[in-house]
Amino acid sequence: MTSPKTGNQALAQLKRVMADYDNFKKRVVKDQLEFAKFAGKELIIKLLPVLDDLERAEAHVKDAGLSLAIKHLREVLSAEGVSELELLGKTYDPTLAEATESVDGPKNQVVEVTKKGYKLNDMILRPAQVKVGNGVSNPEPGRRVSKN
Amino acid sequence: METEFPTLSLVEGSLKINMAKIIGIDLGTTNSAVAVMEGGAPKMVPTAEGRNLIPSVVEPKKNLVGDIAKRQMVLNPQNTIYSVKRLMGRKISDKETKKQSENSAYKIVAGKDDLAVVEVEGAKYTPQEISAKILQKAKADAEAYLGEKVEKAVITVPAYFNDAQRQATKQAGEIAGLKVERIINEPTAAALAYGLEKKKAHTIAVYDLGGGTFDISVLELGDNVYEVKATNGDTFLGGDDFDQRIIDFIADSFKKEHGIDLKADKQALQRIKDAAEKAKIELSSSQESEINQPFITQSKDGQPLHLTMKITRAQLEKLVDDLIAKTMGPVKACLKDAKLAPKDIDEVVLVGGQTRMPKVQQVVKEFFGKEPNKSVNPDEVVAIGAAIQAGVLMGDVTDVLLLDVTPLTLGIETLGGVSTPLIERNTTIPTSKSQVFSTAADNQTSVEVNVLQGERPMATDNKSLGRFILDGIPPSPRGVPQVEVTFDLDANGILNVSAKDKATGKEQKITIKGSTGLSEEEVKTMTQEAEKHAEEDKLKKAAVEARNQADTLIFTAEKTLKDAGDKVKKEDKEAVETKIKALKDIMDSGSKDELEAKTKDLSEALQKVGAAMYEKPEEPKTDEKKPDDKAKAQEGEVVEE
Repeated sequence: MTSPKTGNQALAQLKRVMADYDNFKKRVVKDQLEFAKFAGKELIIKLLPVLDDLERAEAHVKDAGLSLAIKHLREVLSAEGVSELELLGKTYDPTLAEATESVDGPKNQVVEVTKKGYKLNDMILRPAQVKVGNGVSNPEPGRRVSKN
Repeated sequence: METEFPTLSLVEGSLKINMAKIIGIDLGTTNSAVAVMEGGAPKMVPTAEGRNLIPSVVEPKKNLVGDIAKRQMVLNPQNTIYSVKRLMGRKISDKETKKQSENSAYKIVAGKDDLAVVEVEGAKYTPQEISAKILQKAKADAEAYLGEKVEKAVITVPAYFNDAQRQATKQAGEIAGLKVERIINEPTAAALAYGLEKKKAHTIAVYDLGGGTFDISVLELGDNVYEVKATNGDTFLGGDDFDQRIIDFIADSFKKEHGIDLKADKQALQRIKDAAEKAKIELSSSQESEINQPFITQSKDGQPLHLTMKITRAQLEKLVDDLIAKTMGPVKACLKDAKLAPKDIDEVVLVGGQTRMPKVQQVVKEFFGKEPNKSVNPDEVVAIGAAIQAGVLMGDVTDVLLLDVTPLTLGIETLGGVSTPLIERNTTIPTSKSQVFSTAADNQTSVEVNVLQGERPMATDNKSLGRFILDGIPPSPRGVPQVEVTFDLDANGILNVSAKDKATGKEQKITIKGSTGLSEEEVKTMTQEAEKHAEEDKLKKAAVEARNQADTLIFTAEKTLKDAGDKVKKEDKEAVETKIKALKDIMDSGSKDELEAKTKDLSEALQKVGAAMYEKPEEPKTDEKKPDDKAKAQEGEVVEE
């Protein structure tokens, strides 16, 4: 015979283990769904810097063949659910981008994207790096406004 | 209820409270991490951002915490609070406070009782309140992960924290809505993560080289609890300094080659930072790392310039040599305070991401003269230890039914002396597994079940735990009878093996006691043997498999010829018979390759027979080939091609 206390402890432990297991099963199902959705995630993350480099090359050497190759790569990524974050000119959002510099421009607005951000379906794959306006207007043609 | 079980009510009550999960939190200066016990084992809690670390950065006005707060720091330096841990429980006049004040963009002012507080847009926040935001996120992430409410935590603090600092940490937890069940020392948590108290390691040293701080602690096992004997360190030395050295090296090399200072270009600098971190990580596992950043800048005449260079592990080690050496001063001082020599230390534990560097490990190893503990992720080891402590408080670790695993694979012997596993090693018990086997020869009326234990693929190399014979199987062609073998291994390691003929329901069983009751030494020997012989065993098993395959094909071929009778052309039949003989001749002596070659020959000859039979449309055939289909076999309808 076990003492009542031991019996109760055993029961509590059993309940906990069963609860753990039950939760584990639920999470396995969830994880599997996530996994299927983001299976290529790690590989895509490694490929993004390559795309960055190719785009830099494209900016320097204006070559139609290279542009086609880049377009092809973008199409492959797009088919996998990868899309670029559209940030330029929008209000800065730290969930989407890292601000690397505060520069002249409309207050709290993304003035320049220095490293493109990407998402895979709804998940942020790589936050962008952006320059954000500090509220000091750029001199515009025909109009010079300076405010602080 | 109370009258029925008066003595149980208290126990009942306390058990209910115990059911709630307690999380373990490593509240760090640079990064924080959360872990929890799950099914008796510690597990890291991922953040909402999908990482295992939360940067200890807070923007209290907009209520941003972690990665998100860190990303906007440049725009909002006065409002973004980092390294607030350095201010916990400190007076405004403390040396540490002053140092932090000089180094941070946010304002540090005097609050109640002259304690240091931060000021953001005129509002004052105590370090507790800022830390509470990090803890709140830790709580929310854990709740999202576990799918249940979390109300209790174990939080770690540096060994040198005084009472006021520990109190402040506890308050931070309470502000975050967490009951702090215990505050434990970071080095103690690291020791717990390695289970050193169970190994009765009396004196241990914990070497913690994090992102921004270095701590060394010597602990001594007291009454089942580690007590801090001495601590030392450098609050402004860490992995970040190592990174900076690499960045400088890359930028200097580029400048030497091209005359352009990349550090002046913020965008280029950002790319160097990423490249430096990648190189540092790579050099922990390989001897050389290539840095490759095309189009990093332009030359004076507008030509694109690329950053390409190789950095070796030896180069990196030279770059940071003095930084590593700098940690040894505090290590020596700490041992001196503890009145111990390096050889008095029973175990050394490595904590902090920078200890992944092989050179750091080597220096520590040389100093203490023993291999440091480093198998647990050094960024996570403190949180894991906190979770283990939480588990002890929940009763998870000390009382939990420790579920055993079977240390070696259990299986039976099958055709050709092959060991066929039923329960693989490391399977948690109790467990049971069934598999259907058949006979190897025609009209075989009994089967022998030889129960085996071990990792080797051949039966003779494993340990036979027992054997029995199941007889009375109705005579039938080979492969037809279905014998279900069931292994049931209970929580005490008692193995019940039964074999049942599905046709007659006849059953035989055996009970084997102590199938898991091997000494650690025995298990180790058997596992090592398996590893040692892995290659030759693989070959041996492949040969047996080739032989089994040959045997099956001969059987099929002979049956096909018999069934087809005179429908087969004479020359085809002779060809098959020749090949059967050729294969039979080498059956016992042939090597794997020979057997496979002759098996292939026979298979091809046999296919010709099959094809020839199809060419006769007046003889309808079914293309089903199911020698093991019992129903059909009994009805005598199976037609082999």
